[in-house]
Amino acid sequence: MRTFSPLPFEPPAGGYRIRNDIRAFLAANLPAIDAPHRVNSWAVGSRAFSQALGKAGYIGMTWPKKYGGHERHPLERYIVLEELLAAGAPVGMHWIADRQTAPLMLRFGTEEQRVRFVPRIAAGELYGCIGMSEPGSGSDLASVRTRAVRDGDGWRVSGQKVWTTNAHNAGIMVALLRTGEPGGRHEGLTQFIIELDNPAIAVRPIIDLAGGHDFNEVFFDDLFIPDTMRVGDEGDGWRQVTAELSLERSGPERYLSSFALFLELLRRAGSKPDAATTALIGRLTAEIWTLRQMSMSTAAQLAAGNDPMLEAAIVKDLGNSFEQELPRLVQAAADADMDLSANEDFARMLSLLLQISPSFSLRGGTREILRGIIARNLGLR
Amino acid sequence: MSDEQNLLIETADRLFADLAGRRGEDFDALWAHIEKAGFPSLLIAEEDGGFGGSWGDVFAVIRLAGYHALPLPVGEAIVAAWLLNRADRLATLAPRSEGRLTGDRFDGVLHAVPWGRHAADILADIDGKIIRLAVADAKIEKQANPADEPRDTLRFENAAAEAVAIPADLLALGALIRVAQIAGAMDAALAMSIAYANDRVQFGKPIGKFQALQQNLAIFAEEAAAVNCAGPAACRAMAKGDAGFEIAAAKLRANMAVGTGNMIAHQVHGAIGITREYGLQYFTRRLLSWRSEFGNDRLWANRLGEQVAAAGADAFWTTLTARSDATS
Repeated sequence: MRTFSPLPFEPPAGGYRIRNDIRAFLAANLPAIDAPHRVNSWAVGSRAFSQALGKAGYIGMTWPKKYGGHERHPLERYIVLEELLAAGAPVGMHWIADRQTAPLMLRFGTEEQRVRFVPRIAAGELYGCIGMSEPGSGSDLASVRTRAVRDGDGWRVSGQKVWTTNAHNAGIMVALLRTGEPGGRHEGLTQFIIELDNPAIAVRPIIDLAGGHDFNEVFFDDLFIPDTMRVGDEGDGWRQVTAELSLERSGPERYLSSFALFLELLRRAGSKPDAATTALIGRLTAEIWTLRQMSMSTAAQLAAGNDPMLEAAIVKDLGNSFEQELPRLVQAAADADMDLSANEDFARMLSLLLQISPSFSLRGGTREILRGIIARNLGLR
Repeated sequence: MSDEQNLLIETADRLFADLAGRRGEDFDALWAHIEKAGFPSLLIAEEDGGFGGSWGDVFAVIRLAGYHALPLPVGEAIVAAWLLNRADRLATLAPRSEGRLTGDRFDGVLHAVPWGRHAADILADIDGKIIRLAVADAKIEKQANPADEPRDTLRFENAAAEAVAIPADLLALGALIRVAQIAGAMDAALAMSIAYANDRVQFGKPIGKFQALQQNLAIFAEEAAAVNCAGPAACRAMAKGDAGFEIAAAKLRANMAVGTGNMIAHQVHGAIGITREYGLQYFTRRLLSWRSEFGNDRLWANRLGEQVAAAGADAFWTTLTARSDATS
């Protein structure tokens, strides 16, 4: 038995040059970001920053040039992503479109869909959201009920999606809708591109426990979707949704999204911290280094054309656990005069992360579901 | 992987499984098979009569020694032979020493020397100076770690000490050996736990059908995976030169993993896992011992923490990336 088969992270010759390029870009373009936002950077969006990134060629890096992409190596893209996250850059506006929406169109979409949407996504101008969860369908996604009914050369939709991150900024949603009966559990689902600027759609904010606005409810009231906006064949939705989960699960955002708190801990600790802080810094360093190696190895597997299902699920769960431990450990080890009510960067970052970190093991698949996947891959069940 | 590497790994897998099954037999009889197969010369260059292997080969072989709970010092022998550039007699590494070096004479004690009683030479770090001592010059107190592996105390009086130039920290090299063993032993203990969970029936079904067990075994797998990724990454750094940072991080992460993995392995097995007769103890007792050897959590956390704090927040990410950009 072998739980992890590491593959060295080997970009093409000259591939590491891009690290300096993106650092130079960030030095020139990174906006001043309020401290707490840096600990949750892939949920923080800036249109200006995303457009500047798009213009510089850092969105759609691996896509064909004819759709506005840049045909770079996937590991060059990985380097750019980890640099953006390590800098706490506000990548939330375009993140989903870059990671999922456009890749879905390039893999399963029509030529018309690609030409129409992908270049604007690559330019950092069109943003996406994912319409999967519904009030009655969370982890049990196959139970989605919002139905698309055939109507002439299109479909009629009435129903609701919920927990839709970024719907209030996005121009398009990729929605998983019911088009047939659930014969087998995962049948009868189809993916559609929905342009959100439509009077038959209402987007309502859901404010999170810390006062932030990432989530939304999205209501469809007799919405018409042209059949040209169907992605892939009718009934193939589930297969398409699960096809690229490894990519979604193993990225550097799974351990780096709250990296800014670790840096702030280092800043406060100074060059010769007390014994407890020194040991904590050592422990966190070991975990960050290991998670980075695991994420990079999984990226190398993906770049080689493999589908590392088990490794990707492991990276996500370990990364989530680390990002939840981080604020708890920092809170426990902070010096006595650290006061969560203080109006200073460290206290504000820690306060926010303590509140929102439970969501890390919910978004993109709950911990329990992931561990079930790992168990199945181990030969249990 | 090259054909040569595949052959090496197949040979190690078969031989280690066979020798582990003969545990309790005379050390010299078992060790002769390891020497005959040439494993101690794994890192010695071909032109010097060695196998000319890589650090990736070293990880694979030592991991298999851990996977089979091999009761022999294969890791120590490989690394010490490389440092001394000779594999004709068994050498090992001292994890801890006390004493005084006066010119080329040593007075003092080496603690918890792995298989000290069976070795001919020992490498020790005396206040930053690496020396080779002959075991023949030592007074040996036979001791063992909780897994019954020899960990002897060796006392020297005015003993001849030969200075040896080595390209890495001795403690770190020992730690790298233990990381590779931990990677293998954790995967083996996990495999046993999964097989047991699929076999053992309670409440009318295999206990592996219960979600509570599945979730725990998934956690175990994650911890084993972390070590099985960290170990090879540290070995890649070793192949490029300075791996002090990577080994420190890998050993600390491995130590943390052992704490979690061992508890789950025993919890899944229930009472049978606690018995002498059942094979799980060969792994879990080694794992809990190795966690302390060549640096426990505290030692490596402090070393890493001091290094990172001294460099400062602004250097953290650039250093982390520069190190791996150079080694991958």
